[in-house]
Amino acid sequence: MSELISDTDLVSMFIHLGIDRDSAEHFRGRIEHRLLINRCSECGTYHQPPRPICPRCWSTSIVPTAVSGNGTIDLLIFLHQGPPAPGVDYTTPYPVASVGLDEQEGLRFTATIIGSPNDEIAIGERVTLDWIDRAGIPTPVFRLTGDAS
Amino acid sequence: MSTSSRNPMKDQVAFAGAASTGFSAHNTERTPLSLAAEACTTVLRECGLKASDIDGICGPSTVSAGDVQNTLGIPEITWWANPPIPFVNQVVMAASAVHAGICDTVLVYHVPYRHAFFTASALRDPFRRVLAPIAGGGNPDTMWGPVGYTAWASRYIHEYQVPKEHFGLVSISDRSYARDNPLAAMREPITMDDYLNARMIRWPLCLLDMDVPVDGSDAFIVTTTERARDLPFSPVLVNAAVLGMVDANVEDQNVSLEHHGHHVVAKALEAKSDFWIDDIDVYFPYDGFTIITLNWLENVGFCGRGEAGAFLESNWDAEQNRILINGKVPVNPHGGALSEGGTQGSGHLREAIHQLQGRAGVRQVPDARRTLLTAGGFFYNAQGLALHRE
Ligand SMILES: [Zn+2]
Repeated sequence: MSELISDTDLVSMFIHLGIDRDSAEHFRGRIEHRLLINRCSECGTYHQPPRPICPRCWSTSIVPTAVSGNGTIDLLIFLHQGPPAPGVDYTTPYPVASVGLDEQEGLRFTATIIGSPNDEIAIGERVTLDWIDRAGIPTPVFRLTGDAS
Repeated sequence: MSTSSRNPMKDQVAFAGAASTGFSAHNTERTPLSLAAEACTTVLRECGLKASDIDGICGPSTVSAGDVQNTLGIPEITWWANPPIPFVNQVVMAASAVHAGICDTVLVYHVPYRHAFFTASALRDPFRRVLAPIAGGGNPDTMWGPVGYTAWASRYIHEYQVPKEHFGLVSISDRSYARDNPLAAMREPITMDDYLNARMIRWPLCLLDMDVPVDGSDAFIVTTTERARDLPFSPVLVNAAVLGMVDANVEDQNVSLEHHGHHVVAKALEAKSDFWIDDIDVYFPYDGFTIITLNWLENVGFCGRGEAGAFLESNWDAEQNRILINGKVPVNPHGGALSEGGTQGSGHLREAIHQLQGRAGVRQVPDARRTLLTAGGFFYNAQGLALHRE
């Protein structure tokens, strides 16, 4: 964990993403380019977004756990307009995908897709996690692997 | 948990009246409170009620019950609430309060408003900017809120392999109906070419898949059925009302198009009400996005999964260029959120009441007695209402 960054700096870095105490460790993970998803240490179930207890067994023993970042595009849109964000230009429609992670059926993480023309990005495509720097903020993204799902 | 049919409130609470300012797709030079005051005083006058006859007030979170009470000089109230929209929430709360005896007669209001965060032209109005500031620091990498409907629209197309024209039929039908509604913001008919060429906002949804930001207000009187019988218009009885939500209610974690709030509403409303889709004279599915209407048609049982577009085609009134189920049941005859204006359900409710009271003018469905109103979307705001008259 990045213990070196203070809570104040952490919150100011991710305030636009709605950081709170329940999601703080997830955002600390981003600084080290680790995608941490809450996992219950009693029943083994992952959940998303971060909650204070396991929604399945109510255990409070929640461990933010690094996932592989491999998955399949379940949901996909292209923004022709959207909120201002550093380095985001909607003149080429901007892909946003919810990726079903390999760790657990129905567990999804939402991010953009980089490195492929829009006409190659589709529901069902396999992807893997990567990271970009967005005005100093480490930002998770996915890339197509080229494998069929 | 099994679906409960328990419904002690059935037919005990009624709408006595409904009124509207009408809706504008341009910025008016009026505050939300000014619009609310007009709709509220209109419905009170039409029902022959004085300020002192009201002892409950319920509206959206954007215009407080206290401000409405103060503005209208309503001397004393024993209950109020400002729950989130869509508008069946306001109905459920007001009807429950009346049935529980916390108050007897509730003024219920809504104020759809072109807030600064909706459109560039609204943002240019300094009075709108101070009213609802824009949240800073946008995040495009999310399916949050309205974006989530686009995500599941894309999934719907992928799973059922349907053409975009199926979405277009919803938009065209609403516009054709709005032609007959002087309250509507958008009354110029549109064609399928207009729809297919409309500006893309978030693929696969375009401008005509999304409701119209409007200024305006609707207001209603909710009271005991007994009291409503003494007022000028036929009481419209609340036969059943429900809200519906499942645990996986975060946009990108929604399990599937076959398991979300709509399905909870459909099951619970059917269990609690005395009538269902084959018994109604007019239907009001929510249409804040076209995908929601397609899904409602499927989820209440008019047709199977992915078949809503084909259902619209086979129930199409070619002469009027709009849907007419079985050649007799109109769908959103006021033009819905896509054409009357984005009222978050208050327009659907007002039209439903006017239809059942025989006050819908040229849009009147002959002898309309029963209707279903299924509001809201997939994640955290699905709602249902069964209304009828005696
Ligand atoms: Zn657990």
